[in-house]
Amino acid sequence: MSAKLERLSQILRIVFDGRLHSLAEDRGEVTIEVSAEDYLEVARTLRDHAELRFEQLMDICGVDYSTYGNAAREPGRRFATVLHLLSIEHNWRLRLRVFSADDDFPVLDSVCELWPSANWQEREAFDLCGIMYSGHPDLRRILTDYGFVGHPLRKDFPVSGYTEMRYDDEAGRLVYQPVTIEPRENTPRVVREAGYGDAGHV
Amino acid sequence: MSIEGIFREGFVTTSLDTVINWTRTGSLWPVTFGLACCAIEMMHSGMARYDLDRFGIIFRASPRQSDLMVVAGTLTNKMAPAMRRVYDQLAEPRWVVSMGSCANGGGYYHYSYSVVRGCDRIVPVDVYVPGCPPTAEALLYGLLQLQNKIKRTSTIARR
Repeated sequence: MSAKLERLSQILRIVFDGRLHSLAEDRGEVTIEVSAEDYLEVARTLRDHAELRFEQLMDICGVDYSTYGNAAREPGRRFATVLHLLSIEHNWRLRLRVFSADDDFPVLDSVCELWPSANWQEREAFDLCGIMYSGHPDLRRILTDYGFVGHPLRKDFPVSGYTEMRYDDEAGRLVYQPVTIEPRENTPRVVREAGYGDAGHV
Repeated sequence: MSIEGIFREGFVTTSLDTVINWTRTGSLWPVTFGLACCAIEMMHSGMARYDLDRFGIIFRASPRQSDLMVVAGTLTNKMAPAMRRVYDQLAEPRWVVSMGSCANGGGYYHYSYSVVRGCDRIVPVDVYVPGCPPTAEALLYGLLQLQNKIKRTSTIARR
């Protein structure tokens, strides 16, 4: 790992002493995790602290960990929000991950007041993963159809959805009806021999 | 159509249906309506190499001036009402060409929650052009097939 990332990690450890749940360095990238209560203040410090100065928000992602790794999951570890930050002043990047405490009704503070570009990113995460951002000025759906029900990128959402669209001749307009096609089996089947990929395997 | 005596007498004899179909096939004006990558191929067929203008096919910016819609690309649920509205605004007689796998039957997105499984669920389709995306030649062939289809219709003499 480069000396620069080492320095960033040290600053993070000093500034957020006790508030960091984890700090990981992998493939030349630093990822920190904080709790939902500390999230907004941590984000503010990341932006304003002279040693950090993450003035640019690159991306916000919502993640559903419900089937991750086929492993048992602790409560409050289903929905995560991931922020990708860039400091132009210091020329370094950071990934910030926060889990919402309630799995059934995931809520998180909005960072729109810190980075205005978070507006549409949080709308997208809300639309597709169903994570609520309290304090967001206009938390509407952004991608799916008007009046869409459900959050498509949740793991329990069927790929074919619940409804489909057709033109109704009698009504003279487009109507939604329950989906008519059979769901498709799309579990990847991987057949591997023992020792596949090892050195010397024929 | 008969051209006997055209030079001396100065008139020709034909049937009205032939004239109507000749005018309709000779000025198929599609509305500029592209949804995805198929629209790029549609633009290619309009450009110099395949040159739809040769067939009197000129893209118009308004459905009110058009009599053909090429559904070029993936039709999503959110786009479907807008697409139906454009179709309703087309002046009669009107035709629809479904271009590409997505418009024909959902294609790659057949099992998706947000895509219409074929634009014939929304509007009546005259010609289906297969391909993903169809080449400009394929679309051109489809449009010629549509012209042949129009030539078969009889507006005056009902058969």
